[in-house]
Amino acid sequence: MTTTTLSQGRTVRKIQPLQGQARFERAMWLFMRYSGLALVFLALSHFWVQHLLIGTHAITTAQTVVFWGAQGQPITLGNVLFRSYYAVMLVLAVVHGINGVRQVAYDYFGHRPAIYKGLMTLVVAIATVISLGGLLALVLGAQASSEVAIR
Amino acid sequence: MLRPLIVSFREGVAYRAKGNLLWLLHRISGLGIVVFLGFHIFGMSMAAFNPALHERALELYKTPPFAIGELLLAFLLIFHAVNGTRIAILELRPQLWEKQELATRLSLIITALLTAPTLAIMAYKSISHFLAH
Repeated sequence: MTTTTLSQGRTVRKIQPLQGQARFERAMWLFMRYSGLALVFLALSHFWVQHLLIGTHAITTAQTVVFWGAQGQPITLGNVLFRSYYAVMLVLAVVHGINGVRQVAYDYFGHRPAIYKGLMTLVVAIATVISLGGLLALVLGAQASSEVAIR
Repeated sequence: MLRPLIVSFREGVAYRAKGNLLWLLHRISGLGIVVFLGFHIFGMSMAAFNPALHERALELYKTPPFAIGELLLAFLLIFHAVNGTRIAILELRPQLWEKQELATRLSLIITALLTAPTLAIMAYKSISHFLAH
């Protein structure tokens, strides 16, 4: 910390900016709070629409096709909105989830770097494959199978 | 390797402060949701890559074991959301720290108020589906 004295005699403390790991941890700390607040609305609205309004037993492939739009078909504004909503939720939820797992893993295995790093490499690798697959799926749209009629 | 987990779990439960139990439940619910999330994103992506597999995943969710798991998921998700909101608001607004007991109570009450009707409607839909089929 450095201090400078202004001409009026006021003292201003200058805090050194965080660097490296500390800066990353601060960013993730803030991200967990803000993404969490956003996910409260995104995830709960998604859950309640699918499970209360529609109901698990009424969810069909045809419905996914209607929501996302079918591959090779022109997409509607509704499809674009649905895909964006899910893409935003997917990215926020995956990063929020990975960081949560990282904190838990560090709590229990932080004193064993080999286990901690191995575990996190595995988690990040699986999460990257799954979430990139999910994003690609949202870009491509649903594939209408033969038994699904498109209206 | 499991020892730190067991010790932490035991100590977490044994230390009976309310906030500590919420901390433990927040952690457990978060881990539960993240595991489900992986399977869920995978299953939904199959709508683009393998519609038959997507169809099978949707059919699997309609079986009784998954209907029960879904009720558990609903509780974990709502709890994690409400308790997470409490954590975010308190940590971003330190002047509210003196009200943290109220915040704890509120987060439990709101969780209960949101969970009860959700579970009731979901259970009603599932049971009437299984009775009809």
